[in-house]
Amino acid sequence: MKKYTKLIALMMALAMILSLAACGGNSGKETTTTTDETTTTEPSETDSTAATGSNVLKVHFDVEVASLDPQIATDGTSFEVIAATTEGLYSVDAEGNPILALAEKVDKSEDGLTYTFTLRDAQWSNGTPVTANDFVFAWRRLVDPAVVSEYSFIAAIANIKNAAAITAGEVPVDQLGVTAKDDKTLEVTLDVPVPFFESLLAFPSFLPVNEAFFTEKGESFGTSPDTVISNGPFSLTAYEPAATSISLAKSTTYWDAANVKLDGIDYQVIKDSQQTMLSYQNGDLDVATLSGEQVEQFQADPEFHSIMAGYLWYISPNQTVAGLENLNLRMALALAYDKEAVAKNILKDGSIVADFAVPTKLATGPDGKDFRETTGTYLSTDKAKAAQYWDKAKTELGISEVKYTMIVEDTESAINVAQFIQSEIQTTLPGVTIEIETMPKKNRVERMQAGDFELGLTRWGPDYADPMTYLDMWTTGSPNNYGFWSNADYDAIVNSAKSGDLALDINKRWEELKKAEKIAMDEAVIFPVYQKGDAVMYKSTVAGIEFHSVGINRIYKNATKN
Amino acid sequence: MKKYIFKRVLISIVTLLVILLVLFLMLELMPGSPFNDEKLTESQRALLNAKYGLDQPIVIRFFKYIGAMLTGDFGVSYTISKNTAITALLQTRLPVSLRIGGQAILIGTVLGLILGIIAAIKHNTIYDTITTVISVLGVSLPSYVFAMILIYYMGFDLKWFPLLYKPEQPFYSSVLPTVSLCMFTIATVARFTRTEMLEVLGSDYMLLAESKGINSFQLIFKHALRNALIPVITVLAPLVVGLMTGSLVIEKLFSIPGIGSLLVTAIQSNDYNVVVALTFIYSVMYIGIMLVVDILYGVIDPRIRLAKGDGHE
Repeated sequence: MKKYTKLIALMMALAMILSLAACGGNSGKETTTTTDETTTTEPSETDSTAATGSNVLKVHFDVEVASLDPQIATDGTSFEVIAATTEGLYSVDAEGNPILALAEKVDKSEDGLTYTFTLRDAQWSNGTPVTANDFVFAWRRLVDPAVVSEYSFIAAIANIKNAAAITAGEVPVDQLGVTAKDDKTLEVTLDVPVPFFESLLAFPSFLPVNEAFFTEKGESFGTSPDTVISNGPFSLTAYEPAATSISLAKSTTYWDAANVKLDGIDYQVIKDSQQTMLSYQNGDLDVATLSGEQVEQFQADPEFHSIMAGYLWYISPNQTVAGLENLNLRMALALAYDKEAVAKNILKDGSIVADFAVPTKLATGPDGKDFRETTGTYLSTDKAKAAQYWDKAKTELGISEVKYTMIVEDTESAINVAQFIQSEIQTTLPGVTIEIETMPKKNRVERMQAGDFELGLTRWGPDYADPMTYLDMWTTGSPNNYGFWSNADYDAIVNSAKSGDLALDINKRWEELKKAEKIAMDEAVIFPVYQKGDAVMYKSTVAGIEFHSVGINRIYKNATKN
Repeated sequence: MKKYIFKRVLISIVTLLVILLVLFLMLELMPGSPFNDEKLTESQRALLNAKYGLDQPIVIRFFKYIGAMLTGDFGVSYTISKNTAITALLQTRLPVSLRIGGQAILIGTVLGLILGIIAAIKHNTIYDTITTVISVLGVSLPSYVFAMILIYYMGFDLKWFPLLYKPEQPFYSSVLPTVSLCMFTIATVARFTRTEMLEVLGSDYMLLAESKGINSFQLIFKHALRNALIPVITVLAPLVVGLMTGSLVIEKLFSIPGIGSLLVTAIQSNDYNVVVALTFIYSVMYIGIMLVVDILYGVIDPRIRLAKGDGHE
């Protein structure tokens, strides 16, 4: 009998441990929900109105926000939220042209080296005015080697005086070419004129940060609604690091609040693509991004939209690999596969054929026209020509067959595209064998950076609205010149456009950049495949979201719902 | 007994340290780095590595990390939530995971017990068959599949429950994830309870008790269940492991801001500190449960203590 009492006691103890474990979790959660409640009061109010058809836009993210610090953030998701809450000197319009935002007026010097911005009367959400010093402080952080901003290179591309030298640690940070003349006047000095400087200033890395607020919050800056202040169309009402839901409400202190139609934005992170579409159809989302595999299922839906993205997908041949240094072989490979079929039959997400190295709708020239509109196309699919090039290559190289391995990242769409190209090349060019090696993207990037590959299917996204964001890659010695191609004429044009004579003559620069692209394409430095289209769904009641391929992906200032 | 417990605790601590070391080595061997953005230059990468101390040899990093960990500092995240202290991430996320895991274990055990008992008492009837079917399904189907079925029918079709976890409705919106997670627990507990109950019910002492005229309620709950439960405790540890691995997919599917979904993202993006901290927590939970079960065993059954060379009798 004694044995039994002991056992009962044990069972009771076990039951208690179990229930305690559950309760422990509960009580822990209760404390966090109470803190949650203080921060989510507003959105849950708007939520209840959302159910009755309000003006809060419910937007899908497929990844968490990595940082709300404009100088630390590097990814599109973070940029989107930062840009919705913070405004800089410039914004971009629906077409991607720079428009004055917090700057009311700009004076450019004759030589294009000095910009003087006059700020409009704008406020941070804590009531303090936005001053020129907020920009000076933020831009110094951007280039400060102690901060190690991953996007510090963008200040060097803007050629702001001393930017590169400061990041390299050669010059003190207060020597950066940006000064606050007074509270409302900001003067920026450049090393060389940059034709796309104004559009560059809309990039989130150049957004202002209030120094007093930043210092006060210290390490907690940007981690909660209390440690973020805004000066843009929306303000943050619910957020925690790596949150799966984020809420923004329309800001009352924004200078142009009268033109903001939405009451707020609720972001929801969903990583599973099936769950995303169920949530969209269930009404939990107004805007959702489709995964490649879902395109076919939804493309007939009137709410399906294809948005042109800046990403250019191409095959990079490693010219240090035997055979690939031969121009005829490269030409043969570049022309041998049907790009139209890749875009229309395999991807079906609005991607377009890429017969170029500089994507379409990326950059507008001094003539007001898109770069692509005034220049030619290159390396268009031509299987007959490809076979001729292959014959020439065979004689020149003294071979009858070759075998190359193409490294590809392990996403479904990349693999599908690679397999199609593989079969196309092998059919068009008898004797050529392509093997595919799939791996996670980070491995592919690592292998390509180390030059440890033969062919690589890769992509490049633009950082700024100028052909140089692509052409700069293929100069001799550039870390992104994975194929080790080298051409003196090409180098001369690109370097001159960056900091030589061409930088001073925007019309000539534009023409020369077209020549540079032609050189690269004539030598098949890369084999372009397609320019990516993004498949999105948004409700028919939603309008005015501005989609962009450079910088900020989606701008909601002019968006409406209902 | 004290010596036995002390020994078990010591072994657990050593195991944890070994796990940490292996983790460090594995992360070192993992391809890529937290800073594998193609646009970073070599010098910037070096600066970033220096900023986070990743330029130091792994041995130094390991001991530094353990030193910091003892003071409650798990380092900062490199990519998922840049420069955020891991402890801050855990503060909001760990309670959510613990709560949903706890709910699943509790409901799963209780329902599993009930099903198991019914199946044993109504042996070879339709109830028994139903329980067996549920058990087989629960053990063989992954929680992901249950979750998708529940999401589709209970959430999307019937609109009884939200499809996603909502922090403002922590319980209502955690019903579907909890149910998907606890299916495996229900099935396992039911199976074990049924088998053990049947064995106990057929034993001589039950026959004796029955012939003494004890009523059937007392017979089952006071005499049979108590003995049948001992082996059920055995499966507790593996069940917790099942829950933990299940929570990785379930959290991702329901967008639950817990540590499971965080771990998946961290591994994919080489966010070393987050991976180490979370795996460490999972190990602590697992080893902790094993420890409790081990000690309970020793208390329940003296033969186990004796077998481990710690008996005084």
